[in-house]
Amino acid sequence: MTKHHPERRQAYDEPLWWALFSAGGVCFALFVPSAVLFLALLLPAGLLPADALSHQRASSLLFGLPGLIFVGATICLPLFHAAHRIRHGLFDLTLGSDGTNKWLMYGAAALFSTLALGVVLLGMLR
Amino acid sequence: MTTKQISIRRYLPERDDAPFWQPFEVPVDDSTSLLDALHHVKESLDSSLSYRWSCRMAICGSCGVMVNGIPKLGCNTFLREYDAEIRIEPLAHFPVRRDLVVDMEIFLEHLAAVKPYLIDDAQQQEATETYRQTPQQLARYRQFSNCINCGLCYSACPQFGLNPEFLGPAALTLAHRYNLDSRDRGKAQRMPELNRHDGVWSCTFVGFCSQVCPKHVDPAAAVNQGKVESAKHTLIALFKG
Repeated sequence: MTKHHPERRQAYDEPLWWALFSAGGVCFALFVPSAVLFLALLLPAGLLPADALSHQRASSLLFGLPGLIFVGATICLPLFHAAHRIRHGLFDLTLGSDGTNKWLMYGAAALFSTLALGVVLLGMLR
Repeated sequence: MTTKQISIRRYLPERDDAPFWQPFEVPVDDSTSLLDALHHVKESLDSSLSYRWSCRMAICGSCGVMVNGIPKLGCNTFLREYDAEIRIEPLAHFPVRRDLVVDMEIFLEHLAAVKPYLIDDAQQQEATETYRQTPQQLARYRQFSNCINCGLCYSACPQFGLNPEFLGPAALTLAHRYNLDSRDRGKAQRMPELNRHDGVWSCTFVGFCSQVCPKHVDPAAAVNQGKVESAKHTLIALFKG
């Protein structure tokens, strides 16, 4: 039991991935279905006011603080949630090495999050 | 009296390198436990069968086996619950010594690693007074203190199956149990074990450990509360430098 030195093998990164995974899970459960309800069901069914998401209104909402929060809650955090699940799924299927999978999964989540947030920020600066 | 057939996965290393299945016909009534059936096999049918047991009342944690692939205690599993075939195997994820007897050394190592006992250096100097604890302080950890170290949760845990270095459900639960105890001052010594990849972070919250636990300890809850503790501990350590 004293073969290893636990102090030298602390998993400093795991709380971060786990926090992003947890936050992403909440967003996946709450905000993604809400977005689908409003954008894919209520809006096409004509149950929202006609100009609720007119081009002008939609772009002013998206390229502002609400858009930044919307993209963070429906794209970035769910991406990290999915990345965490896929990483552990790959470990369960004994595919690849966990160290490499971590770089690939969280790297992809970070890349696509940066792209999504970057589009919003560029639109804000336009 | 009616009879039922049970199949036992035998492993006799001096006779054969490979395990083999052996069927036995055992007499059953409504009160026949699996342990009773194993006793009948040992006493009347085949005295070479090896298995562990002691108390017969789900408190010693010795008689864990796989029943149709699910980890169970032999003493509180009853043959009346099974209509079709009953297949008995040694506990999964542990090396098999012979028949239903497994080597639990790694489980004991993991238990010892988390120091599952009260640590209070100040109190040890002059242990003249009894510890005082309110019912509220007791309630915080009571559920997690019912573990009997039977190892069923390790057989249920797919992560322990993939990586035996994972501290596992029971050890992490006991660590949490002592961390929650108002009499204990040993949390700082236990957290480095929990903070490792092979500590709380190898758990993927499958939850089967809590389903098979014969004492309703709910190790999955303890491990995931341990993740919160580990995250807090890591964050504080980062700020302290």
